[in-house]
Amino acid sequence: MENKWEMLSSSNEEREKIWTKNRTFAGDVWFRFRRKPTAIAGLAMIILLLLFALAGPMFTEYSYSVQDLEVVNIPPVMEVYDTPDGDGYFYITQSLKVLYVNPDKTLGDQLKKVREESDMSMTIFDYKGEEVGLYYGQKPYVMADPETKVIYPSQTVRNASYLFGTDSLGRDILTRLMYGVRVSLLVAFVAAAVNMVIGILYGGISGYLGGNVDVVMMRVVDIINTIPLTLYVILIMVLLGTGLQSIIVALGSVYWVDMARVVRGQVLSLKQQEFVLAARTIGSSAKTILFQHLIPNAMGSILVTVTMLIPSAIFMEAFLSFLGIGLQPPLASLGTMCNDASANLRTCPYQLFIPALVICLIMFAFNFVGDGLRDALDPKLKK
Amino acid sequence: MKKKLSLGLAAGFLCAAILAGCGGGGSSETEPQTIGEPTAEAEESAQETEAVEPTGAQELTFVLNNEPDSLDPSYTNNSFAAPFLTNLFEGLVTYDENGEITPGNAESWDVNEDMTVYTFHLREGLKWSDGTPLTAEDYVYSALHVMTPTTTSQYVNMMTDYILNGQEYYDGTATAEEVGVKALDENTVEYTLKQPTPYFVDVTSMWVYAPVQQATVDANGDKWSTAADTYVSNGPFKVAEINMGESVVLERNENYWDAENVTLEKLTFRYILDQSTALTAYENGEVDGVRNIPSGDIARLKAENAGTHTIHVYGTVYYNFNCEKEPYNNPLVRKALNLAIDREAIINNVVQLDAEPAYSILAPGYVVDGTDILEGRSTYEMSPTADVEAAKAALAEAGYPDGEGFPTVQLSFYSDDTVKKVAEAIQEMWQTNLGINVEVTSADWAVFYSGVQNGDYEVAAMGWSADYVNPMSFLPLLATDDVTNTSFYSNPDYDALVEQAKVEQDPAAFAELVRQADELLSSDYPVMPLYYKADTYLLKDYVTGVYTDSSTHIYFKHAKVAK
Repeated sequence: MENKWEMLSSSNEEREKIWTKNRTFAGDVWFRFRRKPTAIAGLAMIILLLLFALAGPMFTEYSYSVQDLEVVNIPPVMEVYDTPDGDGYFYITQSLKVLYVNPDKTLGDQLKKVREESDMSMTIFDYKGEEVGLYYGQKPYVMADPETKVIYPSQTVRNASYLFGTDSLGRDILTRLMYGVRVSLLVAFVAAAVNMVIGILYGGISGYLGGNVDVVMMRVVDIINTIPLTLYVILIMVLLGTGLQSIIVALGSVYWVDMARVVRGQVLSLKQQEFVLAARTIGSSAKTILFQHLIPNAMGSILVTVTMLIPSAIFMEAFLSFLGIGLQPPLASLGTMCNDASANLRTCPYQLFIPALVICLIMFAFNFVGDGLRDALDPKLKK
Repeated sequence: MKKKLSLGLAAGFLCAAILAGCGGGGSSETEPQTIGEPTAEAEESAQETEAVEPTGAQELTFVLNNEPDSLDPSYTNNSFAAPFLTNLFEGLVTYDENGEITPGNAESWDVNEDMTVYTFHLREGLKWSDGTPLTAEDYVYSALHVMTPTTTSQYVNMMTDYILNGQEYYDGTATAEEVGVKALDENTVEYTLKQPTPYFVDVTSMWVYAPVQQATVDANGDKWSTAADTYVSNGPFKVAEINMGESVVLERNENYWDAENVTLEKLTFRYILDQSTALTAYENGEVDGVRNIPSGDIARLKAENAGTHTIHVYGTVYYNFNCEKEPYNNPLVRKALNLAIDREAIINNVVQLDAEPAYSILAPGYVVDGTDILEGRSTYEMSPTADVEAAKAALAEAGYPDGEGFPTVQLSFYSDDTVKKVAEAIQEMWQTNLGINVEVTSADWAVFYSGVQNGDYEVAAMGWSADYVNPMSFLPLLATDDVTNTSFYSNPDYDALVEQAKVEQDPAAFAELVRQADELLSSDYPVMPLYYKADTYLLKDYVTGVYTDSSTHIYFKHAKVAK
């Protein structure tokens, strides 16, 4: 078409043709979704967390349960003192013992205590036959030569043995985090599955059939909704014993009620529309109408509800575990890790901070994705 | 101009950085830091040891980390009530600063030849906190009150086990006149016992033997101990205010017989259930003392001289084996489980206490003729650290080489941060050292303990603090069919020794019997002892005169504040 002003031949086909690229529903959603940076960031974070939880344990030499009681409560970043012979470092533990740190910053053994010099405010330890002192007359405590009282030079180093430090039983926090994230993601998966199956079925049937069936089914939902989840978990624990299965059963048995309400609302309004009437006139069964016509049309709200419910399920698990009614030791979940750390909060704040941060990250990630999906699926909602 | 200045600055920084680099490299341009002489502090602390004259307001706030179920001495056996009952009441005898029995309400006491009749002579002019006289009749009333079933006293066996016809009175088959508690006159009370009991005076130091006032109990029923205006006591302090869930305020009882030696005017027991919160309040100076400290902070607080006080408790922390259940009915299995524990690591790194590793349920601390009767006893093949080889050998001998075929161990514990950490450590030690599977389950104390009492467990966390300093407060724990025997251990030889020790009047022979019983018991490993209890509380150093006994009761009657 050299000359843009040339008259086009006119045919019906060309008149009806849609000249822009044809996008599917999914493509349309993805197009809007990826325009939102927070949504993409959330998605990337979820993928990273998945990798961290599933592939992470293959790359760590520790297990979530193995304890090394020699190295309890060692932080990720340590203030260390040079040894007198310059070959390695000393680290003063929170219980005022001295740990030898190798020159490559991996942790060694505790030094043997020789005696207590309380009038000098010093504890004397044995280092390769030499005496070194831990002086506690001032804060922060320092390592010094007991004879000359010269403080050994200090520096801040990363803990090369345990990237995120150890907990109060000498377990690797990083490895426990991986298992903790696993539990959280498992809970997310279960919550999503339960929502998608029970919630949609229940809400769809209730909404489509209407009348007395609807009234009864919705009152059941109301009843379930009024009983606090904590109570359910405790009751279920009496039956099944403590552990993850109780939390999952509890979440599974009640977590679909919000979804059922949403689906019912959608189905109620959709079933008045003409295409349902049309389907009914050509003799489609209720099942076909519900699954072929109504639910696909409500999919937007369903997906948004699911992504919003997942973070609350994760948080619920963490919360229940924090209260001590979730996983049994030595299994790790983010909630139990926070709980274990809370007793030590004043001396080892990093033990609480790290799992709490990961909970935040997971919540952020799912909420961002949920937000993005809502905007992408239902542009009308966007102001 | 500006550009030049910034260039110069940059150059300056660069030089400084290089110089600093050199300094670190070894050429000692900077003086190495040394630690200052702690002279001033040392002098200060030296002064403190001299007698302190009380100055300022004689008021104290002491934080408790648990609320007791009751403040009624006839009803409760709850150790959380101890700070109240120790200071509000005084029985016939009490403990002094050295942890020895000393006259309380009774001035003196006599005992007959075969140690079955104890006669206590009360001081003249004893009074209740409301000013009415306290007589021997009050002691008789209180004993009968405790042994009345409707009182539902939790410590009732501490009376019915000893006092003649006590159990019969409780069961309704004996009248009040037949019970072995009599007021001979206004100031003399006589206890007649079922059998010779050389240590009965120790038993009477328990608060269940403290008097309660009949007038207030009759007028208010079991509610008398829940409100300040109906609470009548006879000890160094009386109740001024009871704020449920918040605090209890005690004030000096001017009607106490030794009131002139009580300096403290007001003692507030404040409840802060969370230990770290309580510690924050203490370090900010809001309160003067705290009962329990988070274990991770003890070392730091000690080094800082922040006022830690360690009580050496007459008690043991141990784990019960259910000796009726397979495979724990096999002593070899119990031995293997015992030997596989690294007690030193648990004490130093898990609970982080200044405690002694325990190899027997019976704690040391009972002294006869100046020496501890248990001095030099065996460790029953245990060592402070784990003896993996011997443990494995014992397990193999029991028929489970390398833990093969050994059923999964159910390890139960009650909800508590420290107990939980210990349970997890034990779980790991057994799994790695013995190759057996261990599952842990926890429950609240009430649920947990009723399970243990019903024998519905395999291995369970336990502890025992003696109610009075005598081995007899431990030995019945493992006697066949004793109510407190929750490990269901049964050994007729041991039972016989305990029965003998119960009535033995000669201290040396008693000590020998206790040693034999301990030896017999511990070489059978009916429980898994971990460490002898040590308890730490915090009290600011301007408070003096506070002391404890080995049942972890804290006495404030001689407390002085010198701010």
